[in-house]
Amino acid sequence: MSIGGSQLDASWFLLLGAVLFTLGAIGVLVRRNPLVILICIELMLNAVNLTLITFSRQLQNPEGQLFALMVMTVAAAEAVVGLAILVEIFRVRDAEDIDDLSELKG
Amino acid sequence: MGLAVFLVAAAMAVAGGIGVVAFHEPIRSVLSLVVVMLALAVLFLLLSAQFVFVVQVIVYAGAVMVLFLFVVALLGPAKELGRGRLRFQPWLAGLFAAVFLILLWVMLQGVQYRQPAITDLHIFGTVQWIAVELFTKYLYPFELTSLLLLVAAIGAIYLSKRSIEDL
Repeated sequence: MSIGGSQLDASWFLLLGAVLFTLGAIGVLVRRNPLVILICIELMLNAVNLTLITFSRQLQNPEGQLFALMVMTVAAAEAVVGLAILVEIFRVRDAEDIDDLSELKG
Repeated sequence: MGLAVFLVAAAMAVAGGIGVVAFHEPIRSVLSLVVVMLALAVLFLLLSAQFVFVVQVIVYAGAVMVLFLFVVALLGPAKELGRGRLRFQPWLAGLFAAVFLILLWVMLQGVQYRQPAITDLHIFGTVQWIAVELFTKYLYPFELTSLLLLVAAIGAIYLSKRSIEDL
């Protein structure tokens, strides 16, 4: 299949999505700041969106785009609740490292 | 033309993604993520997803990232303290990421692309096309999504309200 009137293939978009998702996963695993971990989760969700829309274009099917819109909604809800919890934690004490928030490990 | 647009946007997206992970100040990570989102918006347009392109620019890069910027400004410039308790975590994370990327690459080689049933691209991705699908066939998931947003809004209000009363 050609996209954009050239030899551009759907697998290029899928590979880019895979690279961005892996970058986000590295960020979640390596970074210590809880705020940056939330940002990296957003990056992973964006990579998934790119994959969904690529398959939507490939199969010329609306479901990929609709699901991408719902992923955006879920990402917005996740950002709102996550940031509210983070602001609440930072009001009580300074938690610059995610290891400071490990009281719930049981 | 399409290939050049893709290469430029993909390079910007990957550079922004590396910036998100590598910058030490959270504000630079947030701005790098805005770069990624705008580059992905260009790619969405290249994939003829016009409505998702507009939503990506206005809602995602506009609203959600401004929320992140507000929180970064509220919490102040928090630098990272360096390594955590697990000494080998960065190395294990790098190993995991390499294995994960190789796995995805191998799986991409085996993808069989089915030919689409229709090839009419005149209405593909337009607002009308999305809306007809969203409000007829997928009305129930759409309403559930709005319920999710309501729950998230109530949760955020509850979290912030209780802390104001405590002060």
